[in-house]
Amino acid sequence: MIYVNDLSKEFKKAIKEPGLKGSVKALFKPNYEIIKAVDGISFHVPKGEMLGFIGPNGAGKSTVIKMLTGILTPTSGTCEINGHIPQENRQKYVKEIGVVFGQRTQLWWDLALRETYSVLKEIYDVPDKEFKERMAFLNEVLELDDFISSPVRTLSLGQRMRADIAASLLHNPKVLFLDEPTIGLDVVVKENIRNAIQKINAEEGTTVILTTHDLADIELLCNRIVMIDKGKKVFDGQINDLKREFGQMRDLKFELMNTCDISKLNYKEDLKLSDDDMKLESEKAIVSVRFDSDKVSVEDMLSYTLSKVHVKDINLKDADIEEIIRRLYKREVSIDEV
Amino acid sequence: MRRMLRLHRIFVAQYMKNLMEYKVDFLTGAISFLLGQVIQIAFLGIIFSQIPDLVGWEFNEILFIYGFSLIPKGMDHLLFDNLWSVGYFIVRKGDFDKYLTRPINSLFYVIAEKFCVDAFGELLIGLILIVYSTVQLKLTITWYMIPLFIVAVVFATLIYTSIKIATSAIAFWTKASGHITHMFYMTNDFSKYPTTIYNKFVRTFITYIVPFAFTAFYPASFFLTGENPLFCIGGTVLASVVLFTISVCIWNKGIKAYESAGS
Repeated sequence: MIYVNDLSKEFKKAIKEPGLKGSVKALFKPNYEIIKAVDGISFHVPKGEMLGFIGPNGAGKSTVIKMLTGILTPTSGTCEINGHIPQENRQKYVKEIGVVFGQRTQLWWDLALRETYSVLKEIYDVPDKEFKERMAFLNEVLELDDFISSPVRTLSLGQRMRADIAASLLHNPKVLFLDEPTIGLDVVVKENIRNAIQKINAEEGTTVILTTHDLADIELLCNRIVMIDKGKKVFDGQINDLKREFGQMRDLKFELMNTCDISKLNYKEDLKLSDDDMKLESEKAIVSVRFDSDKVSVEDMLSYTLSKVHVKDINLKDADIEEIIRRLYKREVSIDEV
Repeated sequence: MRRMLRLHRIFVAQYMKNLMEYKVDFLTGAISFLLGQVIQIAFLGIIFSQIPDLVGWEFNEILFIYGFSLIPKGMDHLLFDNLWSVGYFIVRKGDFDKYLTRPINSLFYVIAEKFCVDAFGELLIGLILIVYSTVQLKLTITWYMIPLFIVAVVFATLIYTSIKIATSAIAFWTKASGHITHMFYMTNDFSKYPTTIYNKFVRTFITYIVPFAFTAFYPASFFLTGENPLFCIGGTVLASVVLFTISVCIWNKGIKAYESAGS
């Protein structure tokens, strides 16, 4: 379905010294540096999969999406989607994809939302009957009815995002690209949008590629993630694999019988742990310790704790994906381990 | 082609609805434009009240040339005005993304999106000047003048448009090129007067390099004198076809260099 092979994109960036003087200097003697925004990325996505594309800000996520959607031309490498090369035969290719950029809207700003859909119907040559069915389906999934007659500029961000997603799906695309579809939305709207995406994927088998900073999106929607950092792929696999490989962080939470006992706990020295390996937080009698179970076994941790203090209640759980990814972003886990 | 025309109609309809949302803005634009034109013509009148003729062309002939120049300029303004925005901000802000993710030709899409109604002022004044000066000069109109006039206007319009396409496409490399477009576009002012009043450099420039002379003086002089149809009309067609081909090539190359904007 989607084949990406050794894809790279370089940008030429002018280096300017700060201030007006620097700008003037750059005008006469420009200095350029080549920035590799995307550096040899390869992956494959089968039909119907939902792939989460994650990475810190500036990692090159959007650049990859823009190459896949035919907006940018790769410096080297290839991508092929549904048998099309996006940059060649662009018009035919984009008919089969839907694109949503969370940061900007593709709706007609000053017109009633309804008008946007009727224009898109013409652009994509959707027959009347199909258009009606499609609108009914999108209406049901994304609840557009409340605001379909309002001018787009008056919509709230949540309404606009729902409208944008509907707009990208009107022509029944085979692949849907969502670049940060839940950015800036409240919990309820996020939930709605996730449900809608899930429903569309389940009912129509639409392949979805999604970038996000909200890891809940990833956990709830995607079965697979590709993580990139500084233009390079650092992880590609199932979320469960990621948890298994990197999920050595555990949270130990307990309530002390006697609040003063906390001074008796000295994990770092007694168990020889560094700052990276463990972190202790306490609020009155409640103590929570996050530790790396590679460095110190759960058993040692528990027996040490119980030997030092009396507890009312104790509880141990896996750290969530957010913590794993935070560690990956910070390069605490090296790429070699993948 | 049929699909394009239909889409164009739909885009225009949407744009008109848009315009109606901002009526005051639209009216102010139209009135200021009309005022600008009236002042320029009044200025011509003042000049000719002091001099009998301009290198052999009398006042009414100059009016005809001036009026003719407004027709292709107005047509370009009416239909292809959105190209300005490409050079000024669409590329710089990364908004060009939207044109590339639709299954229609990006150049067509940009152009069709806007329909500049202000241009009717230009077209109206142009027509009034042509009719007025034709009557004053008692020009005889032969039947073949009509189709030739239409051909001249169509291809002259394309010269304006091509220059705008080529110069706005520069933005794909430089991020912004509105001022470059402006610089080239403004040389069209030279074309409103007989080229013979200029020195050799300007004459060569507006004939062979940025061939604005073919948008007004050359075709208009044919309609006034009936001389040199091959150069005056044929030249307009040739110049515009060559220029259009080049500018579309630049545009297509530009799209490959487009870098979008960070998000």
